Amino acid sequence: MNNDQSLIRDRYVSFLRRLVGNILLYSVLLSVAVITVFPFIWILFTSFKGPNDPIVSIPPQLIPHDPTFANYTRVWSQLPIGHFYLNSIAVSFGIVILNTLFSALAAYPLAKMKFRGREAIFYSLLATFIVPPVLTSIPSFILAVKVFHYYDQLLSVIFPYLTGVINIFLLRQAFKSVPDDLIDAGRIDGANELRIWWSILLPVVRPSLATVAIITFVEQWNNFFWPSLMLHTDEHMTLQVGLVALQGAFLNDARGIAAGVVMTIVPMIIFFVALQRQFIQGLTGAVKG
Amino acid sequence: MNKKTSLTPYLFLMPALIVIAVFVLYPIGAVVYYSFTQYNIVTPPVWVGLRNYQQLLHDTVFWQALKHSFIYLLVTPILICLSILLAIVVNRKIPGISAFRALYFVPVVSGSIAVGIAWRLMWDRNGLINGLLLSANMIKEPVQWLAEPAYTLPIAMALTVWLGLGYYMMIFLAGLQNIPEELYDAALIDGCNSWQKHWYVSVPGLRPQIAFVAVISSLAALQVFNEIFTLTGGLGGILNSGVTMVFYLWRKAFRLNQAGMASAIAMILLAITLIFSILNMRLLERGTEQE
Repeated sequence: MNNDQSLIRDRYVSFLRRLVGNILLYSVLLSVAVITVFPFIWILFTSFKGPNDPIVSIPPQLIPHDPTFANYTRVWSQLPIGHFYLNSIAVSFGIVILNTLFSALAAYPLAKMKFRGREAIFYSLLATFIVPPVLTSIPSFILAVKVFHYYDQLLSVIFPYLTGVINIFLLRQAFKSVPDDLIDAGRIDGANELRIWWSILLPVVRPSLATVAIITFVEQWNNFFWPSLMLHTDEHMTLQVGLVALQGAFLNDARGIAAGVVMTIVPMIIFFVALQRQFIQGLTGAVKG
Repeated sequence: MNKKTSLTPYLFLMPALIVIAVFVLYPIGAVVYYSFTQYNIVTPPVWVGLRNYQQLLHDTVFWQALKHSFIYLLVTPILICLSILLAIVVNRKIPGISAFRALYFVPVVSGSIAVGIAWRLMWDRNGLINGLLLSANMIKEPVQWLAEPAYTLPIAMALTVWLGLGYYMMIFLAGLQNIPEELYDAALIDGCNSWQKHWYVSVPGLRPQIAFVAVISSLAALQVFNEIFTLTGGLGGILNSGVTMVFYLWRKAFRLNQAGMASAIAMILLAITLIFSILNMRLLERGTEQE
């Protein structure tokens, strides 16, 4: 009898303890979520505020009383937002495809062939990782203006990113883990190296290709420094450069700027929600290398 | 390996090597040369020897920028501590946890320009922060956060932390999930409480990840630009309060057309980056030895 009672009491105590623990845990989780997400929510609501909804008030008014699309139409009518989108899509996708191909081409011999200078080439490539991109931007700017003559053209923000040492490194690791027998079998069948690379190796390392593609895509979609140096005509701007131009044009119009921010972020967030697992694994999976 | 393939590896490497030669290797050489010249990009560079470097030594804004860049490195320990704590919190199987993890990751993909501009609105005189603080009676008057030199760097650093937290959390989470459960059991048997067990098991177990995050986030901190650019509207803050090395380099090269001077700053930045990377490599080696 006594035992039963103490058993029930013990259970009750451990239940309570777990309950309190869980409430604490969830409140920590929620407050961090509020800190991460609240700025986005605030911007979203601000972008729908009408002229009579104050941006800031006491107490703060979050949800617009007088919701309107006017901020969006005002921004669309003053700046070629459609061009910004198309340019960003063209640049990001162009770079993702070509960069992944070029990096995968370079990674194959570095992983699977013996040739003179292999180690030297590999380690020199790796060493360039620590060169700050801002350093190379000075001569690259001069090249763009004086040699390539592609200043203010989309090509100028594609060319410098057609390969990346991190991508070469990741794909080299992936190719290394492919068994040599597979490649030898291809050689016995008379396939040339390009064919082996394309139809044997690439399908096997598809997860790594996805990782590389996602890292490159996020990086390029959000790239600002170099595009801001190159692209000056409104019609040639990418979203990030255009957003800064928008901020300059709508200096005292918080609602308009908020609408611009929402338009810049939303495609990436939709993409992220749709491919959440691939995104997180891709961006952090690169670490295990 | 048969002899027929002797040229093949180089053909495979060629596209990538051309890109790197043109956009990385050539620029390094060119920057070394430009740093000894006076060069406004329009007329040909004029050799001036060490003059750019000498002028930098006497340039108070440059020293300020250098100081700010070193202060900015504080984001590295802050990020490491906060993201380990957060990783420990989210490392459990409870309902809804993957939704929380995903939410924390949203800033990582949103891009620092859009988020920076959103933050600028938030910290504006008529922004969210003043609204909240006024409502809570914590301040009496709206504060001009971004016009106050003392606040420029801390707000920018907070933005960097806010942007990176979810990413580094995921790295540490992956690390935590590789630590064998038995180590925690042993710690509990040894009488550790739940905080001690993280201090004695999780933190040492995360050493490789800590080293990696230290390298990546300190390189990023030395090269911070977007946060400063958006928060100060491209001006660098009142009294240069937000000017870092990279921001100063950008201003010299692309606002003032002093490519020679900017190249000298780039060389100093490269030297600092090299020293840092070597120090970090040491840390990384020690980190992996321990594993």
